[in-house]
Amino acid sequence: MTHAPAEVALEYETATERPRRFWATPRARGLTLLLPAVLVALLFSLIPLVYLFQISLTNDSSFFFEAEYTLDNYREVFSRYVPAIGETVYLAAAATLICLLFGYPFAYILIRKIRYRELVRTLMTFPLFGPLYLAFGLFYVLLPTGPLGGFFATFGIDLAQYLFSTAAVLFSMAVFTFPFMVMNIGAALSNVDPMLEEAARTLGAKPWQIFTRVLFPLSWSGIVAGFLMCFGWNLGVFAQPQLLGSPKEQSVISLQMYFKGLVQFNYGLAAALGVILMVMAFAVTWISLRFSRGALGA
Amino acid sequence: MATLAAEAAPTGPGSTGRSGLRVLGNALAHGYVWAWMAVFALPFLATLTYSLRTPQGEWTLSAYQYVFGSFRENLLLSFQTTVLTIVINLLISIPAAYAIVRYPIPGKSFLLSTLNLSLYTPAAVMGISLVIAFAFLFRIPQTMTGLIAAYVVGTFPLMLVPIIVALRDLPMVFEEAARTLGATRMQTFWRVEMPLLGPGISAGVLLTFVIIFNEFLVTLFVAGPGTTTAALRVYNLTRTAGFQPSTAALATTMQLVSFLVVLTFFHFFGSRYLKGTYLI
Amino acid sequence: MTRVQLDHVSKKFGATTAVDDFNADIMDGEFITLLGPSGCGKTTTLRMVAGLVDPSSGQIRFDGQVMNNVPSHKRNIGLAFQSHALFPHLSVARNVAFGLEVKGEPRAQTQERVRSMLDMVSLSDYADRMPSQLSGGQQQRVALARMLATDPRVLLFDEPLSALDRNLRDTLKYSILDLQRRTKKTAIYVTHDQSEAFAISDRIFVMNGGRIEQAGTQLDIYLRPRTEFVANFVGDNNAIAGTVIAPVQAAPGEPRLVDVRAAGMTLRGLDPGGVQTGDKVLVFARPENIEVFAEPLPEGTPNVARGKVDQIVFEGPTVRLTVEVDGTPVKVTSSGMSRLTLLDKERSEVTLRLLDVTVVRDEGASA
Repeated sequence: MTHAPAEVALEYETATERPRRFWATPRARGLTLLLPAVLVALLFSLIPLVYLFQISLTNDSSFFFEAEYTLDNYREVFSRYVPAIGETVYLAAAATLICLLFGYPFAYILIRKIRYRELVRTLMTFPLFGPLYLAFGLFYVLLPTGPLGGFFATFGIDLAQYLFSTAAVLFSMAVFTFPFMVMNIGAALSNVDPMLEEAARTLGAKPWQIFTRVLFPLSWSGIVAGFLMCFGWNLGVFAQPQLLGSPKEQSVISLQMYFKGLVQFNYGLAAALGVILMVMAFAVTWISLRFSRGALGA
Repeated sequence: MATLAAEAAPTGPGSTGRSGLRVLGNALAHGYVWAWMAVFALPFLATLTYSLRTPQGEWTLSAYQYVFGSFRENLLLSFQTTVLTIVINLLISIPAAYAIVRYPIPGKSFLLSTLNLSLYTPAAVMGISLVIAFAFLFRIPQTMTGLIAAYVVGTFPLMLVPIIVALRDLPMVFEEAARTLGATRMQTFWRVEMPLLGPGISAGVLLTFVIIFNEFLVTLFVAGPGTTTAALRVYNLTRTAGFQPSTAALATTMQLVSFLVVLTFFHFFGSRYLKGTYLI
Repeated sequence: MTRVQLDHVSKKFGATTAVDDFNADIMDGEFITLLGPSGCGKTTTLRMVAGLVDPSSGQIRFDGQVMNNVPSHKRNIGLAFQSHALFPHLSVARNVAFGLEVKGEPRAQTQERVRSMLDMVSLSDYADRMPSQLSGGQQQRVALARMLATDPRVLLFDEPLSALDRNLRDTLKYSILDLQRRTKKTAIYVTHDQSEAFAISDRIFVMNGGRIEQAGTQLDIYLRPRTEFVANFVGDNNAIAGTVIAPVQAAPGEPRLVDVRAAGMTLRGLDPGGVQTGDKVLVFARPENIEVFAEPLPEGTPNVARGKVDQIVFEGPTVRLTVEVDGTPVKVTSSGMSRLTLLDKERSEVTLRLLDVTVVRDEGASA
């Protein structure tokens, strides 16, 4: 039907006055309404990031007087900070994997078996208040005088040994991103008709077969989206290693960047680290947007 | 479907073992969810407990005198910056969402990605880029202006997205009906669209509140001595003074306020308006 | 109250033309219907009258006053939507009051008006309900009250009944007609449902592909379709390709007739206008306007053909036959007692008399 597109186009044909000059056209009015948001994004997001990249190419504080462009900062990053980058990626990947392993069954139970979903969602907002309180609270839990120390001691577990450990950092990172993982997997699972599982069961599939042959393939996009989203968040981890980690975990890029930039005022190096982190986070986001067909359908 | 299967099971052979397994499985499933709910609440409960204990192990509220004493200014500043950010976010997000959904804008998806750029930027990167730009490009280091600008750019996409979703779900006919009944564009907006977009806008307000009120990382980079928010104070105190009940009291207060705001929102709108933005 | 004129009105969306050179002069108090399949441009035409869509060219006038640059909210029109479009956050009374409130009418006057409007649609007891608490039919009645409350100059209906079930549709279409007759307002009604269009309109505009195919009264449209599209779209029809034998000399004052050779028959029908001997035409004959006889009719009876019965379907009140006349299948619907005689399985040959024949130029053949 040649006229079908006309019906679609109606969405924009609401202007009542006949457009005469450019400034009276719907397009111009739309752009005017967008202007404040675009200005904010340009001034405080795009321009600072471009400027960050420029600074990362300068030496010491030379940008302040007369900029000398050099790749020294990146040379330093690649000669001295590769282990730090590795540690960052390792922590993010491990925490996200833990998140996925525990989050998948959680999302499944939440979607299929639970009637008190509102309660679960309400409690799930606690981690969203931020990793700082989370790390702070866990710090106390892991202190020798902590509230659960006695309880775990009866099982022969000394909780205090986990203070300033990789395990504590990973656990707090996983808890922080848990809601994001559950959200993504849950969204995918809620689109899977329970009838499919029943059909598989009546065809003689065992529970693990139902998982590997029905649920897993159908929720694959949610798994990928959740994994990448949480991985992206975890790459920027800051508070958890600082409060709960050992010096090894504290070598993550975000913390390094803070010390290089705001404590030692080596802006060039901090900027180079920032650019590296940004590139990694962007790559992850870019891939995840391919998978998630996000909330905006964009 | 689970109940149906459970009722049907006893008719088959060997059914007692099966339904027993099923009950056990269900119990484990619920237990698993409850265990995680405990984990979610654990850090908060631990902080709360710590804030109420003296070094001698007695219960006391004395740590909370600091919350309304020396932390008062930080808390006020947090409320102030949060409210200011929400207002600015609304002022720039509502027109932008309206333009994106209702007007023919060239390169819409590219534009949206640019607006959402800050969502994908790690907080520390945003912090370092802003601290450098504020100091050497805009010359507004360590100011309230800079702080608010950082908050706005970091969170207005969280406001924008729910409003876009709500506006997209809102059929054009309401707007057209209002227009043909004689309402001007402004009357249509205030009398019809705003009330119908209420939940979407509130979701954006909630997200902005929860994030900005508890933000410490970008703040750590951008804030100056005069602009220490409560969340940043928690961080600073933990770094400098170690682990103190007074700090725990402040952290508890912050989380309680945030949680009350969440509960209020869920009470009025339910959690479905956060769909596609943050939670399921 | 208002004469509505559309002069050479067209609307293009990018490269597609949704409405192409629409002309209409709608009289004060007239009820006209735009009838056509989806995508024919009828809704776009209505929305241009409502001011929700800008015409690409042409003029829309209310009582001679050009409305093209008058925004929707200043046109003083009432528009009924397919989905009723009641504001979900406002009560029934507030919905009806909306148009008066935005105009800043005094409160007492508004309340009085709302009361009388709800009275008119018999929903006075529902004033404080929310729209979601009403049935589909009640919602549409509230929408009617809302559109009439502001005393609009023109009533516009965009398939207002298509979302309702059949019984409701039948009663509501007469309510709409009744309201229009009582308020004596000019009305434009858009629908794809021909029975709706036939039941309520003074005049019908049949549209296809953005153009008016034919405008006229129900009888004109039904009995004298001027194009192939109208003949096929409205009601059921037999279309038989044929050739003009010769125009028939008519007495002065009588309409000119033509004889056409089609499917082995010689048929006489109204001249569609200036056809010449040898022109390719289409002959239309409605199944219900064909009589069936078991025996041959006397020689010389006009518009008669003999054919072989191909298929008989008994549908209760009617019998449907397909009769093959010289290799062309002809659909026939027969009702009345005589139909029962057709059910005789042995019978294979029948005589058809085509009571009403419409001749239309065959655009496809001449192209």
